[in-house]
Amino acid sequence: MELQPLLFLVFALGAVISAVSTVTRKNPVSSAMSLVAHFFMLAGLYLTLEAQFVAAVQVLVYAGAIMVLVVFVIMLLNLGNEQALTENRGLRSTLATLIGAVFAVQIILVTVAEPTGANALPSRAVEIGTTESIGQSLFTQYLFPFEAISLLLLAALIGSVVLAKRHMK
Amino acid sequence: MQIDYIGSLPLIVIWLALGAIGIVIQAFVRDNTRLVFGYYVATLGLTGLAAIVLSGHKGASFGGMITLGGYANYFDALFCGAGIMALLAARPYLQKEESEVDEFYTMLVSSVAGMMLMAHASNLVVLFVGIELMSISFYVMAGFFRTSTKSVEAALKYFLLGCFATGFLVYGMSLIYGGTGSLAYGDIARTVVTQQLTYPTLFVVGTTLLVIGLSFKIAAFPFHQWAPDVYEGAPTAVTAFMSTAGKAAAFSAFVAVFVALLPAGWTSEIAQNQQIVIAVIAAATMLLGNITAVVQSNVKRMLAYSSVAHAGYMLMGILAGPSLGTDGMNGHHAIVFYATSYLFMQMGAFVVVGILERRDGGFLNIDDYAGLHHRHPVLAALMAVFMFSLAGIPPFAGFFGKYMLFAAAIERGFTWLAIVGVVSSVISAWFYLGLIVKMYFQDAKDSGHEAPAGLAGFTLAVSVVGVVFFGLFPQLLINIFRSW
Amino acid sequence: MNYAALIPLFPLVGFAIIGLFGRRLGSEKVIGSIASLAVLASFVTAVAVFMGLTSMPADARSFTVPVYTWIATGSFSVDIAYQFDQLSILFTLIITGIGFLIHVYSTGYMHGDRSFPRFFAYLNLFVFMMLNLVLASNFLLTFLGWEGVGLASYLLIGFWYDRKFEGSGIVWTGDAAKKAFIVNRIGDFGVLLAMFMLFNAFGTLEYATINAQAGVVLGGQETLVTMITLLLFLGCTGKSAQIPLGVWLPDAMAGPTPVSALIHAATMVTSGIFLIARTNVLFAMSPTTMAVVTGIGITTALIAGTVGLVQNDIKKVLAYSTVSQLGFMFTALGVGAFTAGVFHVMTHAFFKALLFLGSGSVIHGMHEEQDIQKMGGLKKYMPITYKTFLVGTLAISGIPLFSGFFSKDEILWFAWLNGSPILWAVGALAAFCTAFYMWRLTALTFLGKERFDHHHVHPHESPKSMTIPLIILAVLSAVGGLLGIPHVLGHPLHLPNLLEEWLAPIFANGVALLPKHTGDHTALEFTLMAVSVGIGAFGIWLAHSLYKDGTEKARALGARFSAVYKLLWRKYGVDEVYDVLIVSPIVVFSRSFLWKMVDVVLIDGIVNGSARFVASTGNVIRRIQTGVAQHYALIMMVGIIALIAIVTVPMLK
Repeated sequence: MELQPLLFLVFALGAVISAVSTVTRKNPVSSAMSLVAHFFMLAGLYLTLEAQFVAAVQVLVYAGAIMVLVVFVIMLLNLGNEQALTENRGLRSTLATLIGAVFAVQIILVTVAEPTGANALPSRAVEIGTTESIGQSLFTQYLFPFEAISLLLLAALIGSVVLAKRHMK
Repeated sequence: MQIDYIGSLPLIVIWLALGAIGIVIQAFVRDNTRLVFGYYVATLGLTGLAAIVLSGHKGASFGGMITLGGYANYFDALFCGAGIMALLAARPYLQKEESEVDEFYTMLVSSVAGMMLMAHASNLVVLFVGIELMSISFYVMAGFFRTSTKSVEAALKYFLLGCFATGFLVYGMSLIYGGTGSLAYGDIARTVVTQQLTYPTLFVVGTTLLVIGLSFKIAAFPFHQWAPDVYEGAPTAVTAFMSTAGKAAAFSAFVAVFVALLPAGWTSEIAQNQQIVIAVIAAATMLLGNITAVVQSNVKRMLAYSSVAHAGYMLMGILAGPSLGTDGMNGHHAIVFYATSYLFMQMGAFVVVGILERRDGGFLNIDDYAGLHHRHPVLAALMAVFMFSLAGIPPFAGFFGKYMLFAAAIERGFTWLAIVGVVSSVISAWFYLGLIVKMYFQDAKDSGHEAPAGLAGFTLAVSVVGVVFFGLFPQLLINIFRSW
Repeated sequence: MNYAALIPLFPLVGFAIIGLFGRRLGSEKVIGSIASLAVLASFVTAVAVFMGLTSMPADARSFTVPVYTWIATGSFSVDIAYQFDQLSILFTLIITGIGFLIHVYSTGYMHGDRSFPRFFAYLNLFVFMMLNLVLASNFLLTFLGWEGVGLASYLLIGFWYDRKFEGSGIVWTGDAAKKAFIVNRIGDFGVLLAMFMLFNAFGTLEYATINAQAGVVLGGQETLVTMITLLLFLGCTGKSAQIPLGVWLPDAMAGPTPVSALIHAATMVTSGIFLIARTNVLFAMSPTTMAVVTGIGITTALIAGTVGLVQNDIKKVLAYSTVSQLGFMFTALGVGAFTAGVFHVMTHAFFKALLFLGSGSVIHGMHEEQDIQKMGGLKKYMPITYKTFLVGTLAISGIPLFSGFFSKDEILWFAWLNGSPILWAVGALAAFCTAFYMWRLTALTFLGKERFDHHHVHPHESPKSMTIPLIILAVLSAVGGLLGIPHVLGHPLHLPNLLEEWLAPIFANGVALLPKHTGDHTALEFTLMAVSVGIGAFGIWLAHSLYKDGTEKARALGARFSAVYKLLWRKYGVDEVYDVLIVSPIVVFSRSFLWKMVDVVLIDGIVNGSARFVASTGNVIRRIQTGVAQHYALIMMVGIIALIAIVTVPMLK
């Protein structure tokens, strides 16, 4: 049981550092790579919370598929030059940092205001996180939103095709 | 798990028609926009009909994921009606712009499906899926004129800011889950009533973020900035639909969510602060929307800012909540009434704009409307009716909506807010009447152009009848509301 | 007597027929007849209802005809229902009677206008809305009529939208229409709030209930009553063109003259008086409001009267005169002489409609000339117009036996009795102004030498359709006052004050709340009457001696007192003050701050600017991402932080 807080600390620190690195890197590719690292750290966090399936999906979908897409786009648009990303910094990034910091402090204040304490995980937690139990709830309790998401994906699919088609007719 | 197939019929019909049959038709029948158009009009007609027929069939389905009947079915019918009106107005508009593609109709109907999910939702997950389905369809529709920079810009701006807002919406939902241990409206309400909130602060921050996410969808201050740009840049037929039905959908969710988050009304101590938040948003939205609209020179932009202001009016109904006793003014009924009448008048106004708009995107300045009454007497007269109704002048439907909202706010003790509302509606008279003055009391600069209404004429007829009819017989709607 | 509900229906049908089929109806005759007959039918029905009411016992002369339930939610329930009683039927008779005459007159006046059907459609719409206003059994329906007449007035003021019109800060008639509408919206906002407060207090908006329970529900809550009545009165100052919202009426003269006669003299502008008369109990409960009403009324009467002294536009003189006379009516209401106020509404409707129609006849005969400096000597060209106009002038000046004498004298008497001698003196001064400017108008128009250009203008008498209404109105102006002979005159002659007896039940509750002034004042009343007649006669004499030969003498006088003249000419600068205080700040704030900062800088500057740049460089997506969205997102972020702070800070302590 002593391992869990330690793991959490490692993954959380890693997540924060890689996130900061994502926005501060000047080279878009290394920025994207920092994001990959960030996704991995998140997957680790999910694991410590006994969410094995989500952790796996996080790695497969985000760190795998989506990041490949992002890197592809970066390559295709040839955004390799650092100039493009450094331009127009200064005031705007200062403001953004400031506001982000205020928001972070606010959230921290709000969450530590209450004695959340270290609730022991329910004993069923390990089972809940498995693919099997998630599959079950998806097809029973959450059947409706699950099916509704098919419409959402369809709309997104058609939409992206419509927008990407070179000629309307 | 209990599934009420009969009661869920409206959702099943649109889901099947869109996700299964529609796709097949579009895959095999190429370049026949007429068929697809007709198919989707029929789809919405059938769905709306099913919703009306089943409105008395109340209950829950899919393990309590959605509610059926009454309130939700009323909105189903409203969205389907608005969808049909928008389809009819869009076809001649797209043909004029020479960019009619049948996928447009698919996107419009899928946004209607999203709205219906929002109204039916009784679980935050369903609400989220509904909001996203609607929004994604809107993003695509806003950018439908891919060759027009304005349209593309509108779509991107809408998409980026929409994602940003969605982030907060989901964060809020997760905090609510953290605070109550559930995503179902009923469970959340029960937890709040029995004061078993594990972490009240998390819950309150979560609800605030949820309010913020929804405020973005209704374009309330300070989350309104996308609206003027997007409404202006998007194709007018799209603007007509998303500024009316989209707003109505967001409010349908707003009301349902608030019933769950504030089961005891505003009496609890926690809720008092949130009340202030809503009141501040409402007041700022009304004032800012109307004052900024005064100086606009583009009709679409003016209507966009005015639509921001109308969101502010409707927020007063959220603030008032359901009536205190049996005989008070019900703020939620006032919202539904206002959303309904607003749908007719705002869509009518935008459709008139769309009919008059030139192919090159011209004829959108308020100055272009000078002397319109000579060249298009019918369009000018209809526009005047919509403007009067938007300004809240009796006997049009807009007046009763405003009246009910203001009265509800005063009953709840928010006299100052009602005064702000009345003052801002006085300011709004300025630009609504300004347009009428242009149309009726000034001479035209040029000889004008042909502006055939085509199918949009039907939309306009329905709009104007709705605006007048619900002004003269508001009781018919209110009787429906009471049966919920 | 359910057929009474037909009264408002006829003009609505007329409006619908003309509005829908206007052009297809063909000739002007058909359209004019439909419109006039619709109003005539209402008038005949109203007479029948009136007869029915007279046959009832005096305290039971009231009945309500429900049409349908308009809206009912919770305890809030409003019917479309018409209430017929002594007050509403009196107003109905005035509206439909004079309305009919003006419709007939308009068939002649508007002859040949390209928008002839539109004019009559609007006119019928106006009558319909006005009837809703006075016949409503509840506040909300009155409010519908209240807004409706505003709408009709708006459409009619701007009727000749292609004509220029010189007003303060106004170039086109359309601007005048908009000004009228928006100024009125400010007043409406008062009425709306008052309605909310009344509903909160009473749980209903029915006049009958509110008047009956006012003492019980609001007794002892004087602040609340004062607030409600002051808000109502704000609406009245808008509709009835009193200070501070009276600026629109002179500009409303941009409309065709029959419109000025019907809407801006005889009927719509008296709705403020109607509303106070309707809710007299509420007003009587608040001495503060009564004092405000009196103060505003008498100030308006005097100021508008003095401004009227120097106007040169025939219609503007009459417009200021109307504002001034309305001030008299409010003074009467303010001192608790409700009957006197309503009486003056009636006589004023007669003679002011007459004067406006007469001026219309002059304008018509002079080929749209409105400047009285370019008239003179029209007596011989337009004998009927001249004679009827003369009757109107004598009536408004308060010359004995003409209608204005009775009503104005009653107001002045109550101003002394219930108010103070000072109030009377100011009223008398305003009455002097009235006599002076009216005679100045008559003298410059009809008497003296002919100052118009004979080559271009050929004055002629108007057609019969215009002169017959003039004659009828002249007769009414002459003898209409006999309906309300004051007791001091009537008593020795055994003549009853018919109007007072008729209206007594309406005002009984309100009057009962006000302090009584009893005792025998016969001698004083006769003295004051003589003095006020003397003042009127003096005004006429002075005006006659100054203006009988044109404007030279007066111009010399004006030069000597140029400062005063200028002040009056510029109407005390009211419009300018409004412009500086209210209109400009809103526009400036909106334009310079919201528009420039939020829109131009953020959206136009960054978005459009960058969008143009982007289109040329092909870097669309990235630019918009970093440009626009960040700024909007930044503002959203600030909003989110602020909102979370508002909700959580009190929880954190």
